[in-house]
Amino acid sequence: MAEELEKNEETDELEGLEEEDSQKGKFMTFQIGKEFFGISISYVNEIIAMQPIAAIPEVDDYIKGLINLRGKIIPVIDVRVRFKMEPTEYTDRTCIIVIDVKSTMIGLIVERIAEVDTIADESIMPPPSLGRKDHERNKYVYGLARTGDSVKLLIDPERLIKQEDVEAVMEDARKDEQS
Amino acid sequence: MAEEFNTESMLDMFLYESGQLLEKLEGIILEKQDADCFDDADINEIFRIMHTIKGSSGVLMYENITKVTHKLEDVFYYLRESHPDDVPHMELVEKVLAVSDFVTGELDKLKNGDTPDGDEKQIVEDLDEFLGRLKGEIKKQGIEMPQANRHVEPTQFYITPVAGDDSHFYRISIHYRSDTQMSNLRAYSATYALKEVAEDLLYTPDDILSNEASADVIVAEGFHMLLQTKSSKEEVIALIDSSEAEEINFDELTKEEYGNALGEFGREDASATASAPAAASKDEAKDKKQDAPKPGDYVVKTKEAGKGKTLAKHQPKQQSIISVNVEKMDALMDLIGELVIAEAVVLQNPDLKVPGLELSNFQKASGQLSKITTELQEVIMSMRMMPLTNTFQKMRRIVFDVSRKLGKDIELEVIGENTEVDKNIIENITDPLMHLVRNSVDHGIEENAEDRTALGKPAKGKITLEAKNEGGKVYISVKDDGKGLNKEKLYQKALEKGVIENKPITEFTEKEIFRFITLPGFSTKEEVTEYSGRGVGMDVVVKNIQNISGRLDITSVEFEGSEMTLVIPLTLAIINGIVVQVGDSPFVIETASIKEFVRVGEDSLIYEPSGEEYIVLRGECYPFIRLNQRYGLPNSVDKVEEGIVVVLEHEGSQVCVLIDKLLQEQEIVVKPIPSYVKKIKGLSGCTQLGDGSIALILDIAGLLMHDGERR
Repeated sequence: MAEELEKNEETDELEGLEEEDSQKGKFMTFQIGKEFFGISISYVNEIIAMQPIAAIPEVDDYIKGLINLRGKIIPVIDVRVRFKMEPTEYTDRTCIIVIDVKSTMIGLIVERIAEVDTIADESIMPPPSLGRKDHERNKYVYGLARTGDSVKLLIDPERLIKQEDVEAVMEDARKDEQS
Repeated sequence: MAEEFNTESMLDMFLYESGQLLEKLEGIILEKQDADCFDDADINEIFRIMHTIKGSSGVLMYENITKVTHKLEDVFYYLRESHPDDVPHMELVEKVLAVSDFVTGELDKLKNGDTPDGDEKQIVEDLDEFLGRLKGEIKKQGIEMPQANRHVEPTQFYITPVAGDDSHFYRISIHYRSDTQMSNLRAYSATYALKEVAEDLLYTPDDILSNEASADVIVAEGFHMLLQTKSSKEEVIALIDSSEAEEINFDELTKEEYGNALGEFGREDASATASAPAAASKDEAKDKKQDAPKPGDYVVKTKEAGKGKTLAKHQPKQQSIISVNVEKMDALMDLIGELVIAEAVVLQNPDLKVPGLELSNFQKASGQLSKITTELQEVIMSMRMMPLTNTFQKMRRIVFDVSRKLGKDIELEVIGENTEVDKNIIENITDPLMHLVRNSVDHGIEENAEDRTALGKPAKGKITLEAKNEGGKVYISVKDDGKGLNKEKLYQKALEKGVIENKPITEFTEKEIFRFITLPGFSTKEEVTEYSGRGVGMDVVVKNIQNISGRLDITSVEFEGSEMTLVIPLTLAIINGIVVQVGDSPFVIETASIKEFVRVGEDSLIYEPSGEEYIVLRGECYPFIRLNQRYGLPNSVDKVEEGIVVVLEHEGSQVCVLIDKLLQEQEIVVKPIPSYVKKIKGLSGCTQLGDGSIALILDIAGLLMHDGERR
């Protein structure tokens, strides 16, 4: 029994490694406004169609509310609003990318899913620190990638969730532990 | 299991198992604390528990635990085998509890990753002394009883077998080298070997196995045996392991010499009763003792020899339990929730609404399906529930300890210990309940039995611990028949301490006055005792209870007693709620906190210049909150006439909330708002409605607090 279990664990680990490998360099790309953004596929849990969102009062405007994902209640944020762009109407192309950041499940509302791209490490450049009026944007973008004839902005989801938000999460977790 | 030797998991196992056993032990002890003695089943059980703990602690090399449990095992071995009648029961109970406390303490140390370094000497000595006394008393009466824990049939020892003509008698003395380790074990192996051939075997010191100190005695004075056997001297010598032995003296004795030697071994009476059959002599002895009880015995004399009265109430059977990861339970619960929703989607599918569709078979099948899903839901809910048995058991212990320390004679009656409550709640009520019970013992019951009898009450104080399940709430009450609360005294004290405003006593209702004792810094007991009286209890109790949305009710009649009742929700996870709508969003309000729904006109509103609004209902003025404005919800009604006003109450303060309309009443599974979203005042969680949409749960306390802050 024990041996079997061990074996299973080993194969699981191997599979895990392979999965990691197969995910490496792959990015889920999506469109917001005119720009294309990319997010490492290892963060992505699933993509779901837009669904009714229960609004929560007294929160930042980019937090749109809560959705019910098969019994799990997760918050969703509008990436467009997060990037300080004007909000637009949701259409039937609007999707929610469910990501898992440090065990926190969050839905990202994006205008349009583009594709899964493979981007080699060497084609990722750091974003220019000067020359942009909007420094805000650089907070979430850690690299620019050129694929084909377009440039994709690679987003760091951990930075997308504000630092203070994460702290709040941690604090709550601590509270939960205590209680 | 893994093949490697894993102390970690063994330790876990040991802690878990021993913890369970100790709990069981305490259960038995306290159940029988008022009985005359333990019955056979109890003695066996305690013996077995001690034996198990001894064994596993031995494997893990926790020597102090092993020694203590071994000693207690000895005592119970003796009780089991000899059925002595005049066991001082209370003392025995105390001894067992002392051991149980000691082991619990050591286990706690282990749990915290410390070394169990408690000093066992005192307890071992106490037990030794106790066991010695038990045996000693019996010896005084001239009755031969088996020695403890020789690991042999006791009957072999208390009668000298009739010596045949070909029997030989020997006196064997073994002196071990002074550096011999565990000489008692060597001596034991010698006796063990000789037993094979012995018709009778006596040895001194006689507690070689049970008494570690005997090793020193053996090294110092030698190990002496008296042997009656048919074997020859050579055969006997061959049986004795002579390694480590410095000197073995071997004397052959005559029958007369042997008889005299028996005397030296403290067995004067053995030869006198030698020819009587073993069982008969034992029974006779018992009869004799029953006829002539010694004065000062603790025990009620009319009982059957060695058998306790079977008490009418029985400890609920230990249930077989597996522990499951809470996450798995939650996942299962989520899934079942989903299933219920999916079921609703299927059964109320618009496709079924085609006119003229023949659906009778479908209806039958769907009825069956609904039944199963409902049952499934009930089961998963009940899985989170646990009986209060263990909690109440702790209370027994407290009553026992405190009443004995304070010298009060108190009986504890427990009713409804099988009442089931959510596990989280149980964890939260144990401390408050402990405090209430302690208070009752310490402050409730009169100091002197005379005070009680003067009032026509029985001398023995009585505390009733009762749990019942009523209307979705659990009532746990601690009732004593003691002094009761004195309103005048409470009022004066409250004034003195400055915890209330200076108003005449007539301004307060009885309930309000009783509630003074829950105010911080209030204690009417003049002197502080070990258990209570520092005035830091009741306010903490109330706070803890409020944390789980419960409350404390106090009723009392002076000179007749008081009753403290905890009213707590059955579970924190499920509430009965009313779903209401404000703008486009549904909200849930806990049914229990809703006083009433009213429709009022504009004329009932009072506007303050600061923007505050009040509402006047039947001459009473309440603060008024428009949920749509508070939370900035669009598309909602602004005119009071068009909406509905909900009057909410929380801990005596009321607030009116304006909503658009009522949707439905529903049992609601409370889920936390994801921690990513910061905490919002006035919202305590969220839930899934029947159609899968999400509703936020209003937290009345938060609303009130928010309201207060805004002012």
